[in-house]
Amino acid sequence: MKNFLIPATALMLCVSAASAWAAPGTALRNDRLYSQPSATSKVTGSVVKGASVNILAKKGGWLRVTSGRSTGWVRLLSVRAGAGGAGGVGVGDVVGAATTRSDPSRVVAVAGLRGLNEEDLKKARFNPDELARLHALSVSPAQARNFAGQSGLAAVKVPALPEPQPAQSSSPWETN
Amino acid sequence: MKIKWMVLAVSLFAISGASAEFDFGKLLEERINQELNKDKKTQPAPAPATPQNAAATPPQEKPKIDARQLGFALFGDYSLEEENRIGKQIAGDLLGAVQLVRDDKLQNYVNLVGNWVALQSGRTDITWRFGVLDTEDINAFAAPGGYIFVTKGLYRRLNNEAELAGVLGHEIAHVSQKHHLKVLKQSSLIGELGKAVSSKAKDSDQAVQNLIGNGAEIMARGLDKNAEFEADRIGIVYAARAGYDPWGLPGVLQDMAALPAKDSRTSLLYKTHPHPADRLAALGEAVNGRLDAVSGKDLAKRFYRIR
Repeated sequence: MKNFLIPATALMLCVSAASAWAAPGTALRNDRLYSQPSATSKVTGSVVKGASVNILAKKGGWLRVTSGRSTGWVRLLSVRAGAGGAGGVGVGDVVGAATTRSDPSRVVAVAGLRGLNEEDLKKARFNPDELARLHALSVSPAQARNFAGQSGLAAVKVPALPEPQPAQSSSPWETN
Repeated sequence: MKIKWMVLAVSLFAISGASAEFDFGKLLEERINQELNKDKKTQPAPAPATPQNAAATPPQEKPKIDARQLGFALFGDYSLEEENRIGKQIAGDLLGAVQLVRDDKLQNYVNLVGNWVALQSGRTDITWRFGVLDTEDINAFAAPGGYIFVTKGLYRRLNNEAELAGVLGHEIAHVSQKHHLKVLKQSSLIGELGKAVSSKAKDSDQAVQNLIGNGAEIMARGLDKNAEFEADRIGIVYAARAGYDPWGLPGVLQDMAALPAKDSRTSLLYKTHPHPADRLAALGEAVNGRLDAVSGKDLAKRFYRIR
């Protein structure tokens, strides 16, 4: 959804994004709704933590949602998709099946499929052949830079994000 | 001697902070029990030993923690060589549980994207290696020394290169922040495990294996949730620094948040990671408007679609 996309593609993507995201969501924090996907645009309303919203579209770091009688753009990280409530796994996840995106290309047979589990990992024996295969696949930094340059990717200066305020007990991760 | 171990155990749990929420606590407890039992077994019986026995069992070495080892656990660091050996063992074990997808174009593509993102991490002292695992499980793994894996099940759900970069950025952050090494370092205080890793003995691979536990179970134990939140915060920045749209990782988390909780493909993921909704909320607090001015590429067209 960047300006380098030709308009037709952009329109198509918007339509597909809109249909893909026409799904229930829950506000994760109090935040504002804006008329455009930009914090400098007009404020059209607000959401409170835990409020149910309907997600209409996604663009970059923004979601277009309706909440009550207001519609507007809210920061992507202020809303979760799915109706599970603001605090992780909730009763809403029981109906999660209905909210999962229904793109047929994504359907994977789940029945009879057993994922990786702790037992498999515990019993795992060192596999030197697969490790050698992995090592043979590695690429050099020069190859990676060349690959990035082919699509116009360039390193950008982005400052680190702040650590959360030490509200909870100190963690060894923070002290190390 | 037992009291000494108890004191050690108590002080270790104190060091680890809120031990209840740590999988590490469990790991440590098992290690301590192992050591205590070993101690019991090798304890010479009070009955007078026969001369042969006395010869076979040299004067009982006390399982003491020397100052060097204590110092290592508190302030030290694994050497680069040790880190590589630990990572290699974990990666080889994990590949014993699940193979790589037999698609060299896919693997090459993921290695190119991954290395480009890893270049933004500042860790140029290791060789970064990326692999797509042949399982429909939805997950990704990192091991010390620059070993990064993403499952085919997770890869299938990605829509563009920025999302792949975000997922890999999260895993790269676990390596750059040495999250697994920090857990291992603390467990190395127990017994001889710490020394064993640095020894050049011929069975030192076994020593590394002893340190990491059974097979690749360290990958099933997971990290402290604060390490996961930190990897999200750092990973999103690595992807942005690489020139990608920073909303890749949040987009993947949104996708997973909408999956039904009972989906068997995410059971291991949810055992080892906070729920995506909690990760989105924590990331939201950290990001707020800080990435508003960052615009990157999502490269949906170049994204390699899995067969």
